[in-house]
Amino acid sequence: MKASTKRKWKKGAKGWLAALPFVLPGLVLVGLFVLYPMIFTIRISLSEYKIVQGQINFIGLDNYISVLTDPSGRFWYAYRNNFLYAIFTVPFIIFGGMIFAYLINNLKRGKTIFKVGFYLPVITSWVIVSLVFTYMFNNSDRGLINYILVDKLHLLDDYVPWLLREWSGNAAIWLMGIWKNVGWAMLIFLAALQSIPRDLYEAASLDGAGVWGRFRHITIACLKPTTFYILVNMIIGSFNVFIQVLMLTQGNPNGRTSVLQYLLYDKAFNQFQFGEASAIGLISAVTIVVLTVVLNKLLKLDTVEKGGAD
Amino acid sequence: MKRKLRGKKAGEVVAQIVIWTILVTALLIFSVPFLFMITNSFEEFSYVLPYPPKLFPTRLDFSAYTYVLSLPLFPTAVKNSVINTGITVVISVFISTLSAYGFARIDFPGRETLFKLYLFTLMVPSFLNIIPQFIILKGMHLPWSDESLIGTRAGLILVYVATNVCGHTFFLRNFFRGLPDALSESVIVDGGGHGTIFFKVMLPLSKPAIGTMSIFALQGFWEEYFTAKVLVGANEDMITLPLLLQRLHGQYSTRWEWVFAASILALIPVIVLFIIFQRKLVIGGLTQGSVKE
Repeated sequence: MKASTKRKWKKGAKGWLAALPFVLPGLVLVGLFVLYPMIFTIRISLSEYKIVQGQINFIGLDNYISVLTDPSGRFWYAYRNNFLYAIFTVPFIIFGGMIFAYLINNLKRGKTIFKVGFYLPVITSWVIVSLVFTYMFNNSDRGLINYILVDKLHLLDDYVPWLLREWSGNAAIWLMGIWKNVGWAMLIFLAALQSIPRDLYEAASLDGAGVWGRFRHITIACLKPTTFYILVNMIIGSFNVFIQVLMLTQGNPNGRTSVLQYLLYDKAFNQFQFGEASAIGLISAVTIVVLTVVLNKLLKLDTVEKGGAD
Repeated sequence: MKRKLRGKKAGEVVAQIVIWTILVTALLIFSVPFLFMITNSFEEFSYVLPYPPKLFPTRLDFSAYTYVLSLPLFPTAVKNSVINTGITVVISVFISTLSAYGFARIDFPGRETLFKLYLFTLMVPSFLNIIPQFIILKGMHLPWSDESLIGTRAGLILVYVATNVCGHTFFLRNFFRGLPDALSESVIVDGGGHGTIFFKVMLPLSKPAIGTMSIFALQGFWEEYFTAKVLVGANEDMITLPLLLQRLHGQYSTRWEWVFAASILALIPVIVLFIIFQRKLVIGGLTQGSVKE
């Protein structure tokens, strides 16, 4: 018993010794700049923190309580908007990406043009994209959207101050999110489509399956794991929305277009309420972790039942 | 039989035309923001925005570009963005490749737990940590200077690298695990250790994966705004392109031609890079074709 424990220890130490040269540099950096800050953030969220004086006084859950019970309801609007963002962007991103990928994959010529074209918004920085959208959604007749909808198409009677109203502001943020991410989904779907063996389609054709039948029973089935991957990524991404809000609406009017990350930023860097900011960050972190775990559980169950296509 | 074949061919041509039409229409709609940006970078704005807003260019005037290029801060921003992005990508990819190998190929106690911890950090919103990171950098200084790392390139790169180790390690570990054991076993038979396996076997085989990751990382660091704003935003010498864009917009809210010209200039390298490497990016089926058994 003792000898075996000793052997186990020896083996463990040997493993560590072999692994250290590889793992250590990363571990030090992650420890210092990621893990330690996380613990520190938890501490700040439970304290009154004065950054200039360097004072940190434990106050329990006060920060959480004041965030959650803020009479303006800003936290709840922001929280709601994160979920709405996921609901209104993710389906469009997934279906758009899938359809574009399917069409591009069936092209005989010009695949590259469309692949690069749809991917351009993805590699364009959020700052640039937000600047363009700010101008396009300008309040007056000077903005492209108002000009086209009112002066050209006469669909609306009056100019809409898009970015100053709750729902049109949110819609602009969603639209930008869809436009920016469809190309990403397209690229991932395209890679997945190209890895589907051709024999499958040929066999199905021989069995008399038409275009639709092949699409439904082969393409959709083979894309399932990829779809889940994109879904999970995009839902997590929905809780990281930030620059769009900072640059398009600043959460106006009254935080109705805000999201958690923007609220965190505003609390920390405009109001210097680091305690409340950290509390918001932790609430959103917990939400993301819970969502990820739940999604993984749900989706994994599904793939196992279907025989695990991947 | 022959007629049937011809019918099939005609059907295919029609299908191709339909697909082209749909894709071209979609791409045109998708290009509107770009078109708007390009068109307006050729305009000359005054204190009020012009009416009507222009979607298609009516003139070809590069004075906004020459203005942006003549800004004293522009070369500084380009220099900083290039240096920061370059150094960060090299260091972060190297450290992550090492880590990924350790997690994928060496058995040590606590490996899975540690890796799960890495995964966990990926789910936490990245800039939740910015306040502690700021404080840590404030307490650090280079051996030859008394100044803190706030407002320095070293500090920014340190945070960039550290916050990307987990994600990159995760990506590459999956790749390393997909490589067959036979490869490393042959090295061990020849008396080589993990160092030999890593440099002689794994690195050459993972070039496509490492390349793909580097391209994505490059683009991410090139456009990074928030961390740079917090950590070096107060030091004008350390300004980066995204910071410069935001500043241009803030200072001259109606001079969109400058903002857009600068945006396009910042965008060109990324687009060129993507067009060059898009064929080589490995996204799915990372391990296909590395070894035939």
